[in-house]
Amino acid sequence: MNLVCEMAAPFVANSAVDGTPVASMFRTHTGSCLKCQARHVAMTRTARELTAMHSTRVSAPPDLEWRVMSSLEGDLAVARSWKAPLALTAALISAAAALVIWRLRPDTAN
Amino acid sequence: MSNPAEPNRVEIEKERELIGRAQAGDKAAFAALVRAHQNEVYTLARRLVGDPHLASDVAQEALIRAWRALPKFRGDAQLSTWLHRITVNTAWTQKKKASRHVAQPIEDYAELAAPEGADHPAVAGEIAELRGQLRSALDRLPEPQRQVVVLKDVYGWSHAEIAESMNISVTAAKVRLHRARARLAKDLEEAS
Repeated sequence: MNLVCEMAAPFVANSAVDGTPVASMFRTHTGSCLKCQARHVAMTRTARELTAMHSTRVSAPPDLEWRVMSSLEGDLAVARSWKAPLALTAALISAAAALVIWRLRPDTAN
Repeated sequence: MSNPAEPNRVEIEKERELIGRAQAGDKAAFAALVRAHQNEVYTLARRLVGDPHLASDVAQEALIRAWRALPKFRGDAQLSTWLHRITVNTAWTQKKKASRHVAQPIEDYAELAAPEGADHPAVAGEIAELRGQLRSALDRLPEPQRQVVVLKDVYGWSHAEIAESMNISVTAAKVRLHRARARLAKDLEEAS
């Protein structure tokens, strides 16, 4: 393995994974270097395996759905617990404001 | 982003209906969506963070975030693509919180799909060996590099998508990928 092979390695890997030609500055070298060509073949297989990983799944923990839905129950419970007092407070403030406005209205009787 | 397991029209329609109901607050519909996508979300989380317990937390948090953000989901992308993005963002956040957490080897991908020719014992053995080496090599990559390889080479994200989700420049994403692939290649070469 010489220095040029080492420098070319990332470009060989990119070429193999992306299916594109090796960067032009290393093309002459890799065209005649058996080591780099072997590396290219190995990385092409690796790329295939990486792509194949996409269609594979690891089973989620059996309690994941329960954990998620329980958290949502908590969320909704918090939302509900805030909603009622908030609505009541708003109603009281509105009533108080209406009362103040009514009391401060200009006397038009005279 | 290409998905080799594209859902058919009926599944798409059914999912669209579930999404609509869930957006209207129907938790049973959301539970059905969780059941349909939890393995996918958990798998991505496992590949990004390594540790199964942390991945479980990431998946849970991602699905909860999905519920909260669901009213904003307009259906421009597939639900799975949208969930991937949420999972990636959640993984970054959770990893920051658990920064002292050491990634564990990814050891239980037992349910890998059998590739072509895998029924021949010699080929199957060779593929199994390569996969074992690949999993180990991925585990040995520094985390930012592993995440870029997983998103680009496994999930087919573009450089721009990776850069956006990792909050780095497109150039930085390309450099990380470049280094990661070189390291992966070297690691596999040494292993074989």
